[in-house]
Amino acid sequence: MTRPNPLAKARAFLDAGPNRAAIVGAAVASALVLVVSVAVGAMVHGAKDRLEHPEETARAQVAVADDAEVAYCTPAFKEVLQRVINACGLVGTEQRRGCQPADVKTFASISGADFNELFAPLKERGAVVLFEEGSDVLDDAARKLLDARWEDRKGARYFFVVARASKDGTTEGNRALSHKRANSVMIHLKDATQDPELDKQVGLLWLGSEFAQFDKTYCEWPNSRTDKRCTPEAINRSAFVSWVDCRL
Amino acid sequence: MDIRQLPATTFAFVAAIAAALGLVFAAYSTYDYAAQLDRRVHAVHCSFIPGLPASSDGDNPCKAALFSVYSAVLRATFWGGVPISLFAMGAFAFFLAFGLYLTLARVHVAAGAHAFFAAASLGPLGASIAMFFVTVVHLHGFCKLCVGIYVSSLVLSACAALAWRAKDRERRLVAPTDSASRRGGWVHAALWLAGLGVASALPAVAYAGSLPDYRPFLAKCGKLAVTSEAHNSLLKLPTAHPTRGVVLFEDPLCPTCRSFHERLVDEGVFERLNVTLVMFPLDSECNWMLDRALHPGACLMAKAVLCGGDDKARAILEWSYDRQDELKEAGKQGSQALLAKITERWGDAVSACAVGPAAATRLNQHLHFAANNHIAISTPQMFLGDQRICDEDTDLGMKYTLAQLAPEVLP
Repeated sequence: MTRPNPLAKARAFLDAGPNRAAIVGAAVASALVLVVSVAVGAMVHGAKDRLEHPEETARAQVAVADDAEVAYCTPAFKEVLQRVINACGLVGTEQRRGCQPADVKTFASISGADFNELFAPLKERGAVVLFEEGSDVLDDAARKLLDARWEDRKGARYFFVVARASKDGTTEGNRALSHKRANSVMIHLKDATQDPELDKQVGLLWLGSEFAQFDKTYCEWPNSRTDKRCTPEAINRSAFVSWVDCRL
Repeated sequence: MDIRQLPATTFAFVAAIAAALGLVFAAYSTYDYAAQLDRRVHAVHCSFIPGLPASSDGDNPCKAALFSVYSAVLRATFWGGVPISLFAMGAFAFFLAFGLYLTLARVHVAAGAHAFFAAASLGPLGASIAMFFVTVVHLHGFCKLCVGIYVSSLVLSACAALAWRAKDRERRLVAPTDSASRRGGWVHAALWLAGLGVASALPAVAYAGSLPDYRPFLAKCGKLAVTSEAHNSLLKLPTAHPTRGVVLFEDPLCPTCRSFHERLVDEGVFERLNVTLVMFPLDSECNWMLDRALHPGACLMAKAVLCGGDDKARAILEWSYDRQDELKEAGKQGSQALLAKITERWGDAVSACAVGPAAATRLNQHLHFAANNHIAISTPQMFLGDQRICDEDTDLGMKYTLAQLAPEVLP
């Protein structure tokens, strides 16, 4: 016995009455549209549920824009720099600008050699601006180097100027001279950049000749007098300048 | 086999299959759209084969189409609007049922049913043709799900027309002079048309009726901490009728920024904004916040925009969006290739400025403005005054959000 073809049976049923096919068609259409509408409602309700009951893991952690923070920003380095910006007027009180040797000795609380070592990672980022003996005048090469370093800010927030004097002369005289050298750098930056935020960016330290003297190895650092012989005295007639890529 | 001699039921059956395929494509499109309603980032299906896994490619054409202003209606009234794929779902469901009816009903076919089927199927075909041209003119690349719908509409319409012709031939063979069978055709057509209308609208009604209230979410994405830049280096873009201040963080080589800019322009919103533009290129050449260049060459392009000044910056930015694919390619080849493009279009003055120290300093000030505000490292970002517009409200929810927070910028 052969089984009847279901399609043929369906067609025979639809052909038997004048409106049967139309009714079935309308029923199919209604069912389809109903299913579609219910499915759409379910999709929206699913999204609504996720919206109103967010999972903690669902929100990706988004990185936020900030100042640069590079590998040399060790806790020890940042601690010293933080003391500098607090003590030297970059944040908080606007009453004073710059730090004297006595201040630095006090707040740095480290030896001169260790102090210099903290700045070692800035060898390529910064530069040593050199002065004539007993002078605080920036020559053309010094100004050019200073401008180049200033323009290369990238993500740094603070620009440090650490002025020194060689051991020639008196301690008091060298303090005053290194102070003048730091100021020369500051005045040049003010004139050259006209930057209204300069005071919030530049940290000045003048060390005289009594703290953190450079030894001859610092002659290998980029400086403004590549054509002249570098001596331990010459490298200390200087101001070391550098942007510092640390969040302080 | 002569295809013209096939019976009307065969064509109606193929039309029903086409409608079923169209329904499936429209359903996937709707599913992707509805998934975004939770305001999170979701992958989007983009394949000619329904059911393949969603594409994780952030810039696929289906995502671009989904986030375009052409994907939904009533966007100022409902968050994200009502996607047009919902109307397609309802219509295809109707045509599927109607096609099955014409396939199965051989004897008692209502007068004018085939003619109605053929005429009504021009609706989805017309919509598909319109969307095809919108894609060609306004969107960048064809969305495969959309192409699936276009092809389904075309096959549906062609088969419906062939079914009508075949039925007419069959009728003339049986009763060459019979006109009685066509009586009552207009009444039926009116009923079917009403049915088509209801079927098309019901999914949209169900969708709109289920949407949550988005108003509490609109102002939850933070504020600008610092609203002014000390060096006055931010750009002011000229617009026709500036009525509301906004700060935009953009990257000239970022595809999302391009789409965002196009949405603002297409909506007629951009000309009503008082735009402060902050360049935020996602290129590690100048942007220290990135460890690699997401958009190589974006720093140079951003500097070129800055070199345009307040007068030409908008033109250069829009040029970079218009030619973005080409410029991105040049950027990957290196700065010289990109600089050559800039010089070719904007001349030596702009290109010389773009590689000079002043532009680098100004761009750096823009980046520091972003850093001072601790904005998310992403583009685009829009601040209405100092109020950040959430990312999800700059694409799907943009018109709704502006209607709620700044109705004066909507035309």
